[in-house]
Amino acid sequence: MNTEIGAVLALLREHAVALAAAGPHPPGRVRVEAAGAAIELGWADTPSAPPPAPVAEPRHNGSVAVAEIAGHRVTAPTVGVFYRAPEPGAAPFVSEGDVVSAGQQVAIVEAMKLMIPVEADRDGRVAEVLVADGEPVEFGQPLVVLE
Amino acid sequence: MSTVLVANRGEIALRVLRTCRELGHRTVAVYSTPDAGSAPVRYADRAVCIGPGPARRSYNHIPAIIEAARSTGADMIHPGYGFLSENPDLAEVCAAEGITFVGPPPPTMERLGNKASARAAMVAAGLPLLPGSVTAIDDAGEAAATAEEIGYPVIVKAAAGGGGRGMTVVRSRETFADEFRRTRAAALAVFGDSRVYVERYLESARHVEVQVLCDAHGGGVHLGARDCSVQRRHQKLVEESPAPGLPATVAAEMGAASVRGLLAAGYVGAGTVEFLVDGEGRYYFMEVNCRLQVEHPVTEAVTGLDLVAEQLRIAAGEPLRFGQEDVQLRGVAVECRINAEDPGRDFAPTPAVVEAFTPPGGPFVRVDTHVEAGYRIPPDYDSLLAKVIVWGPERDTALRRMDRALAELKISGERLVTTAGFLRTVLADPVFAAGGHDTALLERMRSTEAA
Repeated sequence: MNTEIGAVLALLREHAVALAAAGPHPPGRVRVEAAGAAIELGWADTPSAPPPAPVAEPRHNGSVAVAEIAGHRVTAPTVGVFYRAPEPGAAPFVSEGDVVSAGQQVAIVEAMKLMIPVEADRDGRVAEVLVADGEPVEFGQPLVVLE
Repeated sequence: MSTVLVANRGEIALRVLRTCRELGHRTVAVYSTPDAGSAPVRYADRAVCIGPGPARRSYNHIPAIIEAARSTGADMIHPGYGFLSENPDLAEVCAAEGITFVGPPPPTMERLGNKASARAAMVAAGLPLLPGSVTAIDDAGEAAATAEEIGYPVIVKAAAGGGGRGMTVVRSRETFADEFRRTRAAALAVFGDSRVYVERYLESARHVEVQVLCDAHGGGVHLGARDCSVQRRHQKLVEESPAPGLPATVAAEMGAASVRGLLAAGYVGAGTVEFLVDGEGRYYFMEVNCRLQVEHPVTEAVTGLDLVAEQLRIAAGEPLRFGQEDVQLRGVAVECRINAEDPGRDFAPTPAVVEAFTPPGGPFVRVDTHVEAGYRIPPDYDSLLAKVIVWGPERDTALRRMDRALAELKISGERLVTTAGFLRTVLADPVFAAGGHDTALLERMRSTEAA
């Protein structure tokens, strides 16, 4: 009997994971039941609103998995090249340990010679800068962790 | 060996990636956040997230595409259809960046992309046009005089229009001035270009188009005609090759004229010349599509050629490996478009989650799709889910095969309605089955049903 419930549970879990991965961003709500069989996933009703952090999808260009990073992540506003400083040789916008306020510039992403500022979207302390200077980044890629 | 970036999504991205793999090229997919984890993203050697759902910030955003090409070392960009495929700016930026754009040279694309200048170019090459203004008309009075000269009904078309948008049929002189102004305003709003031209509107016509390949060395061939008359508001639903009922001599003449016209315009790559054909077999140039078309698989099925492979070879500078006499059309191919649209609610889109999906199979059936069970149809893009293509030695067999394939297709999900069932009623229509239909077929079917 227990193995049967176990099998149902495993199947439900498998479907839930597949559905979660198919969604535009991770679901805000997940419910998996067993014997009576139920899956429930919930997404906020704003499919194309703020850029979701790309987790759990295949990454082919060597970026580290990002799922386990704690804290708030400031993400890339565009695909392009990441720069920590306003120009080569200049001091970086921010370093680990700096306290930043919402709206403060923390980096640049360059896309076709356009310098697009990366701004902190909330107050916090810089816990980590995740990308090396001059590295290519994708849209939505986490760049800076704030605590 | 090249690294090819496919600047598109959905079924066409997957279709292009597959040929790249056969040719031994490395592949790069680009995707917006709602397309994360989709079939082409998983299929490609590498994938780059280029932006959020809205196309203007992802698939239509040139800097994002170029940055993705740079960071992955892509030396070729295949644009698919739609999105940036007919955008001369992308082609120009590619040239400046040393990336090969799979498509015609930017000036040719610019000239043929505008319907008014394309008409002028094709008239110069000797292609017949419907009576009307060869170039755009700005003045309402002058346009009304042209309409009077042509005779009603007339159609007012946006010079920058395409994909069935930006045109208005005007049936009487009383409404002409209003409709002319309205079409101009709509053209400005949708295409950023208010220029329109006026031509005669054919009540009964077939939409027939010729597939052409031109290399960069002055060589060109045509690959036969496709009939795309089964349309709803100028959106194609069923396409087939060859065009039924079109005499082979007329088809050959249209093919030769198309090659002549495109070569004269400096065309390189795969292109399509669209015509209207009236009840007497007279054909009139309509427009040029400077890209691969959705319905290209029917041409592949009757010619045995892979059009994407030919595009990539031409883009790499290779001459065509065959001449016109080597192109042999065999049998009949038909394509049906499975869209997430509800035919019972005027083809309103039905974005939903596809819960179950089983494509058809069996002899001579091809399915181009990116859909799988669990696929969430994003609301941001067009509603095409799959293309079912069948081949048969003659038309009857092909149509029966298509009906069998559509019956096999299983696609379901909460609130998901597709065109599959509706397409089977089109196949069963006696006029369509006899090959005697024109572009008014679906309207007629609807009014018969209502009566």
